[in-house]
Amino acid sequence: MVTGFGRRRSWAKKGGYAVSELIVSSAIFCSISLGLLMGFTSLQRNYAATSDFSVNHADEMRISDYMAMDLRRAIAVQAAKNDTTIYIPAYYDQTGSPQTPALDGQGGVFYGASGSSVKIHYYLMAGTIYRQQDNGAALPLAVSVQDFVFDVTDAGKVVTTRITFNPTFNSGGASLAATTATAFYNTTLLRNSRTDIQSSVY
Amino acid sequence: MLVWTVLIIGILSLIAVETLRLVTAKYQNALQTSTWQEALLAAESGVDVAIVELRKSLYPPPNHAWDGWNNPPGNVVTGYELTTIPNAGLNGTPMTIETSVDAPSQLIDPTNSWQYYRIRTVGTIPITGPARASDNPQDTKLRRLSLRWERFTNGILTPHLLTAPQVSRRIEAIVRPVSAFDQAVMSVGVVDLTNQNIVVDSYDSSNPTKSTNGLYDPAKRQENGDIATDGQLIEAGNAQIFGDVATNAGTVSGAANISGVERTDFYQEPIPIGAPSWADSSTASINGTTTIDAVATQGSVASRYTFSSISLSGNKTLTIAGNPNGSQTYIEIYVTGDISVSGTGQIVIQPGVTAKIYFAGNADISGNGVMNSNNQPGDLMLYGIQPPTNSSEHVSISGNSQITASIYAPGHDVTVNGGGTNGHVYGSIVGKTVTMTGVSNLHYDERLGSTGIINNYKIVSWFEDNR
Repeated sequence: MVTGFGRRRSWAKKGGYAVSELIVSSAIFCSISLGLLMGFTSLQRNYAATSDFSVNHADEMRISDYMAMDLRRAIAVQAAKNDTTIYIPAYYDQTGSPQTPALDGQGGVFYGASGSSVKIHYYLMAGTIYRQQDNGAALPLAVSVQDFVFDVTDAGKVVTTRITFNPTFNSGGASLAATTATAFYNTTLLRNSRTDIQSSVY
Repeated sequence: MLVWTVLIIGILSLIAVETLRLVTAKYQNALQTSTWQEALLAAESGVDVAIVELRKSLYPPPNHAWDGWNNPPGNVVTGYELTTIPNAGLNGTPMTIETSVDAPSQLIDPTNSWQYYRIRTVGTIPITGPARASDNPQDTKLRRLSLRWERFTNGILTPHLLTAPQVSRRIEAIVRPVSAFDQAVMSVGVVDLTNQNIVVDSYDSSNPTKSTNGLYDPAKRQENGDIATDGQLIEAGNAQIFGDVATNAGTVSGAANISGVERTDFYQEPIPIGAPSWADSSTASINGTTTIDAVATQGSVASRYTFSSISLSGNKTLTIAGNPNGSQTYIEIYVTGDISVSGTGQIVIQPGVTAKIYFAGNADISGNGVMNSNNQPGDLMLYGIQPPTNSSEHVSISGNSQITASIYAPGHDVTVNGGGTNGHVYGSIVGKTVTMTGVSNLHYDERLGSTGIINNYKIVSWFEDNR
C-alpha cells in the first residue's frame, strides 16, 4: 500500500533535484549567460567602434576632399593646425555666375576686381569642423569630431593635409600608434601661381 | 534551449543585416567618391588636349591643329571637341571629355598683342551601382553627383533629366603664350660652360629698379639667368650662374657657383623655324657696304628683304636704316645662306629699328660684329631656319665683340667664344647645343620673356567650377 507520505517521497525521489545539482546547473547557467553577455557586449562595443571608425573615416575623406578642391585653385594659403585659410580667385560674381577674367599686366589673370579673392576658412570649434566662405554662414563639414586634428603643411607648390582621429576600440583610450594609424593624407599640387610667395619657382 | 538558440540567431542576424547595410553604404560612398575623383582627371585631360592643339598651331603649316574640332578658336568663336575614351573609368565605364576654347578680346596683352586663351572642360564618368545619395548631406554638397538630374544643359546651369547616374566636373583654365626666350640659355642638347670666368645673370630693361636707362647695370644684377636643356647634361664648369639650372632628368656638373636651384624636370620642345612664307628667289649677296631701309611702322607689314648671304669684313658695313627721327620701324631679312661678319666689318642697326634676321646657313659673328643702336635685345632677333636632318649648322659669336640680340636657333650648334675681357652678350640664346668659352658674359634681359616667337602655352589660371 502506498501512503501519501510514500507518494510524496516517491515523487521527490523521481522529479526533484539535489541542492548540489541546482548549484552546479546554476553555475553553468550563470557562466554561459555571463559569457553570452560579455560576448554580446563585446560585439556591441566592437560594432559601435567600427561604426565610429567608419563614420570618422568618411569625415576624413570629406574634409580632405573639400580642402583639396580649394587648394587646387588656391592663390594663397595660411596653414595652421585645425585652422587653415585658403584664398581662391573671385571666379563668381554676386549672382553666382562666372566672370570673364582680365589680364593683370604681370603675365597673369584675375577675376572680378584686381587683387580680389575669396577667403575660405577651415577651423575646428566646439567639436565641429567648419568651412566658412568670406563672411558667409559657416558650413559644418563634420560634427562630433572633437578628437580630430587636421594639420596642413605648406611646401609652396604642394600642400599636404593630414587628418587624424582617436579610434574607440580600446576603452582605455586610443594609443598614439592607434591615432597615427588613422592618418589620412592628401598632397595637392596648387595649380595657380601663388600671390603670397615671391619666388621664381612659381 | 530553443528559445535561446532562436534569440541568439535573431540577434546575430540583426547584427549581420546592420553590418551589411553599413558596409554597402560605405562601399557605395567609396565608389561614388572614386568616380568623382576620376571625373576631375577627365576634366584636366581636356585642358591638356586643348594645350596640345594650341602648341600644334605654333608649328609651320601643315600642322593639323584643331583637326576634329568644330572651329578653330578665336574671338567670339568657341572651338569645341568631344572626346570619349571607352573603358577608362571604374568598372570599364567610358570617360567623356568636352573641351571648349575661346579667345576673349579682354585676354589680349596690349604690350605685345599676345592672345591668352580660355579653356573650359567638362569631364564626365558614369556612376555604377544604384542611384543612391550619400547618407551625409555634406557629401552631397561636395560631390555633386548627378543621380537623376544633370545640373548643366549646354553649359548653362539648367537641369535636365538623366537616364543613368553620372558625375561631371568642370574646369576653367587660362593659358598664356610663352616666349622662346624664357631662359637665358636653352639648349636641345648639351650646355657646356667651360670655366669659372663665364658669367650668366639677368636684368630687366623694362624695369628701372632692375636696369639703368634700360641697360644692364652690374649693381642691379638679377638672378634669373636661368639655363635649361632638354638633354641630360649641363657642364656648368663652375661658371658664375645667377639663376636656376634645369635638365631633363639629367645632371649638372661643376655646379659650385650656381645661385639658384637645380631641377631635373625640364622639357620644352622647341618650335622649329621654317623659311618665311614671304621669301622671294633673290640671289643678291651682301659683301660690300650697303644700306637697306626699314620703313614699316607698327601695324603695317614689316619691310622685307631676301639675300643669298651676308659676308662683311674689312670696314664693310651693312646699315639697316630707320627713320631719321628714330621712330619705331620694322624690318625682316631672310638670308638663304650664311652670315659672316669679321674684323672691322659690321652690321649696324640704326636707332628705332626692330629687326628680325632669318638665316638658313651658318652665322659667324666676330670682330666688330653687330651694333644694335637701341641696345635692346628685343630689337634684334636672329632666327636660325631649321636645317635638314643630318645637316650640321652653327652660330658662332667670338672675339671681344658685344652683341645685343636674341638668338633662336634650335637646329644650330651655338658657340660664344669670349677671347678677351669684353665679350658680352645681352639677350638670350636657344640652340641645339650651347657652348661658352673664354671670358664671356651673358646678360639675360627678362623682358624677352614677353617678346619674340611663341614657343608654348602655360596655364596661368585654373579654377574648378563646383556649382
